[in-house]
Amino acid sequence: MFDRDTWQEIFSTLKKNKLRTFLTGFSVGWAIFILVMLLASVNGMQNGFTGQFNDDATNSIFVRPGVTSKAYAGFEAGRRVQLDNDDYEYIKQSFPDDIEYISGRYFTNTTARYKSETGSYSVQAVHPEFQIIEKTIVTDGRYFNEADFTNKAKVAVIGRKVAEDLFKNEDPVGKFAEFNGLSFRVIGIFIDEGDDNAERRIYAPLSTYQRIYGNTNNINQLALTYNPTYDLTKALEFSGRLEDLMKRRHKVSPEDQSGINIWNYAEAFDNISSFTTVLDVIAIVVGFLILIAGIVGIGNIMVFTIKERTKEIGIRKALGAKPKQIVNSVLLEATFITALSGFVGLVFAWIILSLVGPAIKTPAFSNPSVGLSTVIIATIILIVAGVLAGLIPAINAAKVKPIVALSDK
Amino acid sequence: MDDIQIANKPIMIEIKDLHKSYKMGSNSLHVLKGINFTAEEGELVAIMGSSGSGKSTLLNILGMLDSADTGEYNLDSVPIKDLNETKAAQYRNKFLGFIFQSFNLINYKSAVENVALPLYYQKVNRKQRQEKALKYLEQVGLKEWATHLPSELSGGQKQRVAIARAMAAEPKVLLADEPTGALDSKTSYEVMDLIQKINDAGNTILVVTHEEDIAQMCKRIVHLKDGVIVEDKKVKQVRAQQYV
Repeated sequence: MFDRDTWQEIFSTLKKNKLRTFLTGFSVGWAIFILVMLLASVNGMQNGFTGQFNDDATNSIFVRPGVTSKAYAGFEAGRRVQLDNDDYEYIKQSFPDDIEYISGRYFTNTTARYKSETGSYSVQAVHPEFQIIEKTIVTDGRYFNEADFTNKAKVAVIGRKVAEDLFKNEDPVGKFAEFNGLSFRVIGIFIDEGDDNAERRIYAPLSTYQRIYGNTNNINQLALTYNPTYDLTKALEFSGRLEDLMKRRHKVSPEDQSGINIWNYAEAFDNISSFTTVLDVIAIVVGFLILIAGIVGIGNIMVFTIKERTKEIGIRKALGAKPKQIVNSVLLEATFITALSGFVGLVFAWIILSLVGPAIKTPAFSNPSVGLSTVIIATIILIVAGVLAGLIPAINAAKVKPIVALSDK
Repeated sequence: MDDIQIANKPIMIEIKDLHKSYKMGSNSLHVLKGINFTAEEGELVAIMGSSGSGKSTLLNILGMLDSADTGEYNLDSVPIKDLNETKAAQYRNKFLGFIFQSFNLINYKSAVENVALPLYYQKVNRKQRQEKALKYLEQVGLKEWATHLPSELSGGQKQRVAIARAMAAEPKVLLADEPTGALDSKTSYEVMDLIQKINDAGNTILVVTHEEDIAQMCKRIVHLKDGVIVEDKKVKQVRAQQYV
């Protein structure tokens, strides 16, 4: 199969029929191109989704209190559930092995001013550990630490947009800005890739804000990450325990989803994963169907080619070509055209993806690309496809009777 | 004296009671009705007959392109019987060289590539193929045309390339089916001159023709009519050389 003569035969045949070779190859090249683009698009969507979710650690859980929807334990429905510092301490101590990091969240808004610039921003007052839970990337300065927290220091980490708006060309780190009239020292700047709104946010120690706003103990939400060694089952089991405990503690019916809601990213992530898997499957199926059309196209043209070359095959047989040799050369020819044109389609798709891919960055779609495994699988498919495409024509060719082919009278 | 000498030569082709019929719908067309024929090594036999006489069918059977219904066929003492395609291909390649009326060169291959093709199927290596093909092209006087495509050659030249190709595999028997049928008379004589020379060198050649003058250039004429041999005679060979 791999001797030079066979290939020379194939090359000379293909070379003499350039247009036909091109037309034959185009269908498969195109099919592979579409297959790769489809897979890359799904990959892009996947990247988009996970990118959005990866904003938070994937092992994070949020405890969100709300308004009860069911009467329970002597309380009427419609009661607002309020978390406070005790809940924080209680959870932290109840699940020492399950919890990696935990932080309270307190949401408020502030009008910030620096020199003549003012702006209205949302403030999240949190524990220092929240940086890890939220995966906040600090580019300048630092995040606040335990010491700041304990001292209830008036320090803030501001988003890149906030820094741009308020401080213009100045370096904000170390400068003082007024938040609702109170002076806060900016100790760091953070960025959030792909989400401008997040960069209009300000982080400050929870303790500071609790003191400023009337010495309260209140917390709006609890955010935590569970032990990263947990798999989905263990994570769900843990969030179940957490939910039971919190509902009992706040006298919320176990069936009441609005009184206390435990939002587990592992679960959501799992849903997204199965969603993108479905998309993947759809892309592969559609790609395959197109590929089949391509294969049929090649097979079709090969059948025609064999018809056209009946006489030549007859001559070859009269000169001593065995049926096997004819089958081999037709199969090899089909495989070669398929593999080559498919490869061209693949490379073409790859070039387009590497040129355009990185430029695409929307929340739902980012950096579409294909992995090496996809390329390898596609290549294997191509070779199989080539053999399939050549099979029927090859059998036809082998059946050519030299006597019929050569009858010229 | 001559006859005795020939009789001593080994028998190349031996056919006994060969029958062949074709199904045409519900009818059956009996084309060969019991052919008995023997050719010795070094003979140059013309097979003549009008169209429908069965001469082409006979040649196809001799060429293993078709099989007989009944009868015996031995080629160089090898019984040709119940051949599958692969075996037939092997025998064709080893025993037979074909020369066709319409040359049947592969049009996208150069003269030398065409001549080398049977050698390719014999699995002769590339270098030897090239050498041999050139040698046979030289024999037919077309060495300078080796790299030309068939479309760049005249009819006579094409037939000479085809003859070189038939010779290249060094077959036992050359089968020529109306080799001059597509050529003008001058070129025909040139081709016949070449065939005679090849025959002079000891090759066995069968020529199917319906042209009397071509037949006269062979050494023996077999007349077919309605599927039987009606006449089988030795002739005084007319040399084609004198007309060239």
